[in-house]
Amino acid sequence: MAQEARAEFTELLAARGVSRRDFLKYCGSVAALLGMSEMYAPQIAAAVGKLQPALWMAHGLCTGCTESMAQVDNPDVPTVVLDLLSVNYWETVMAAAGDQAEANVAATVAAGGYVLIVEGSVMLGENGNVLRIGGKPGIDELKTVAAKAAAVIAVGSCAVDGGWVAGSPNIANATGVSKFLKDSGINVPVINLPTCPVNPEWVVAMLVDVLLMGELADGSILKKLDDKGRPKLIFGSTIHDNCPRRGHFENGEFVVFGSATQAADEAAGFCLYQMGCKGPTTQTNCPLVRWNHRASWCVESGSPCIGCGNANPITGGPGNWFDASAPFLTRHANVRLPGIGGVQPSTIGAVVGGVAAVGLVAHGLGSAAKGRVKGVPTETQKVHDAKMASKGGDK
Amino acid sequence: MARVTIDPVTRIEGHLRVEVEVDNGVVKDAWVSGGLYRGMETVLLGRAPSDAFYVAQRICGVCPISHGHASTMGSEAAMKITIPNNARIIRNIIEGAEALHSHILWFYTLTALDYVDVVSALSANIADTYALAEAAGTSTADFGAIQKRLKGFVDGGQLSIFTNGYWGHPAMKLSPELNLIAVAHYLEALEMQSEAAAIIAVMGGKFPHFMTSLPGGTVFIPTEEKLDDIYFRWQKVSNWINGAMIPDTIAIAAQYLPLAGYGKGVGNYLAWGVYDDKSMDPTKRAMPRGMLVGGLTLTQPDPAQIKEYIDHSWYESGDGLNPAKGETKAKFDAYSTDAKYSWVKAPRYEDKPMEVGPLSRMLVAYVAGDPDVKGLVDFTLAALGKAAGAAGPLPVTALQSLLGRVGARNLEAAFVAKKMGAWITELIEAVKGGDSKYFVDKTGEGEGAGLWEAPRGALGHWVGVKGGKISSYQVVTPSTWDCSPRDKNGVRGPMEEALVGTPIADPTKPLEALRIVHSFDP
Repeated sequence: MAQEARAEFTELLAARGVSRRDFLKYCGSVAALLGMSEMYAPQIAAAVGKLQPALWMAHGLCTGCTESMAQVDNPDVPTVVLDLLSVNYWETVMAAAGDQAEANVAATVAAGGYVLIVEGSVMLGENGNVLRIGGKPGIDELKTVAAKAAAVIAVGSCAVDGGWVAGSPNIANATGVSKFLKDSGINVPVINLPTCPVNPEWVVAMLVDVLLMGELADGSILKKLDDKGRPKLIFGSTIHDNCPRRGHFENGEFVVFGSATQAADEAAGFCLYQMGCKGPTTQTNCPLVRWNHRASWCVESGSPCIGCGNANPITGGPGNWFDASAPFLTRHANVRLPGIGGVQPSTIGAVVGGVAAVGLVAHGLGSAAKGRVKGVPTETQKVHDAKMASKGGDK
Repeated sequence: MARVTIDPVTRIEGHLRVEVEVDNGVVKDAWVSGGLYRGMETVLLGRAPSDAFYVAQRICGVCPISHGHASTMGSEAAMKITIPNNARIIRNIIEGAEALHSHILWFYTLTALDYVDVVSALSANIADTYALAEAAGTSTADFGAIQKRLKGFVDGGQLSIFTNGYWGHPAMKLSPELNLIAVAHYLEALEMQSEAAAIIAVMGGKFPHFMTSLPGGTVFIPTEEKLDDIYFRWQKVSNWINGAMIPDTIAIAAQYLPLAGYGKGVGNYLAWGVYDDKSMDPTKRAMPRGMLVGGLTLTQPDPAQIKEYIDHSWYESGDGLNPAKGETKAKFDAYSTDAKYSWVKAPRYEDKPMEVGPLSRMLVAYVAGDPDVKGLVDFTLAALGKAAGAAGPLPVTALQSLLGRVGARNLEAAFVAKKMGAWITELIEAVKGGDSKYFVDKTGEGEGAGLWEAPRGALGHWVGVKGGKISSYQVVTPSTWDCSPRDKNGVRGPMEEALVGTPIADPTKPLEALRIVHSFDP
């Protein structure tokens, strides 16, 4: 039986001009991304049948998440839209427009069984008229398509909790998909993939989980999500945990913008913590998966992390990454550091020793004492950090 | 008369609705409506200028580099900061990479499906396709395999993003063989836009939304390894633009020559200019600053002459203000093409609508006498003159049309690709020469403007800084200019005006109107 299915599947791939070897290679990379053994590849491959219908809806967006999808590494874009999904609606890339485009939505919703991908903030301002689609408030259509979806994937921080659009004073009244659907009484599983834009490799990983592994049908996908609806495998550790500059943090070697040694220190890959890096408070695996065909990632380019993956789908606005992390270049004396309040991933404790934040502070002080951090007026802040840490942190 | 509506307009950035009045198969009037208001200008108030750099990019995920740079330049002008020379070169390379990325993506992914019939490619003869590619001087691919993959896909019955496209539309004019070449390059273009974007990732962390051009200069420090990486990626993209994109453009344009006969629009062109040279003088930018009003005579724009009108936009106050003093107070009442119908304001220069974009830049540079731009344009006009069976090249005024607007963007890609090679070399020489200045740590107060260019046209960020915080912020994007509604005098915006006179073969499938809209790359 399984063999028959596999033979049929091989034929199907061949008909689409994809060799089984190519497909298994692709499955292998997806499996690796998910932290699974490549032994799972045949299972993934066997799970593919006809193209999974999907709708990709654009709300209060900059189109950056679609752009980001166009930078996906493996599988490439043609594989995603020709061999994996039937994306019947995706404003930015679809051939149809106007009535023809709307007809695609109607037909897909009528058939059911589709995955809904939402990009951009849910726009509530002016009775929903700050976003108009097809002559109506955008939220009208969102309710219709979400109600019949098998699952929803909110891509990017805007879709997760409103993102920067919900930043104070949130003048257009933006919120996230989870919160909006909950408030609208629409009960459908939502997978949240924050960061601004979304990292395309995560989207592909989730599509494989949801669509190919059948984890939606048996509900097991939900067990892989944390309390914010985020896949634990992707969002379970901080950037600081996996940062290649971490060693320099331990040594107290920091880059200071505008200092005489900036170029040399940056070329040596010193740590950006003193420049406000939000790596210690941002949970994503960016240092491992990287961006744009693994070409680089934010911290490697010389900038501190700005915490664009911090999102709060439960509040749906307050706690958005802009308000949580700005001013970006300021080292936040009162941010909650990992290790305070029990959210400490074990790696930090193991490396720094004891309570991480105390270790962190002691380290900073130590490095200043050794004269490595020059011209950084952060001593008062560090004393403050130490105080906060001893109190268990300010949450 | 029949009112035809396209909503949503697809293959663009953001949300757009277009209505046209069609009479006897020709557009007589048009209304363009921007469908989204998010409030970027408000959320930036009270923030640090560096925060504005990071977040203002989120206005547009297709051209975040240009918004980031315009924001940073606005803050730098306000704080009177002059950036180090290395930072200038690095910004040029990042900006250029975005232009290459954006133009490739626009031509193949966004607009090609208005001209290329994907389904028709199934009936192409493979041998003839190779012969045609060779004759057109464009790159070949495994056309047989691509046709087979396409056939498998179509036979599967699930057309995904191609569902309900304009296949078989009477306005589609390419042979099956040329369609197949275009489909092959449509797939290659996905890889090439990504390669160009990876240059930005190397120098800016990621794309879209980069990290390094902070007010004060750049925090990207080039190492030998990074320079190598940038150089080889640039070379690959540049070769492809010259070997596929440009010959494709000429081959396809030759089949659509009647499109040089309409779509001119307002005939006023504005370019702030982009890619600074050492002097930091905007008239000496690689794409220079300039303006052409009603003809092809070059003048210099004065930003003080800009006013934004809201008579047909959903805002409650601030009518007729210069962006330096502008207001943005949203207030929706109802959608009516007779009253208010857009979230886009109507910017005017001395009360005139101005077209912005690659056509404006190329015309300004052409009139200013840039030898590279002149070479590219004259070569193309000669090739199309030959295709038209004319005695000589098409006149420069042929560019003032739908065909010209499309072609100008692709020619600009070739121009930028060439310049980028020079900038990368310039950076390598500067680094070798021991220049290690990239960033100045300085603050200040005042008001300034970053007047720059996104791939789709003139972009301005007007920034006030007080006590280390943003005290005022106004943005006029290219699409604010091009997609503007009518102004207080009832004068149509550039896209609205360009739609007038467009032939529409089938009002239920207004493909020709879509072409006009897409030609502005909104």
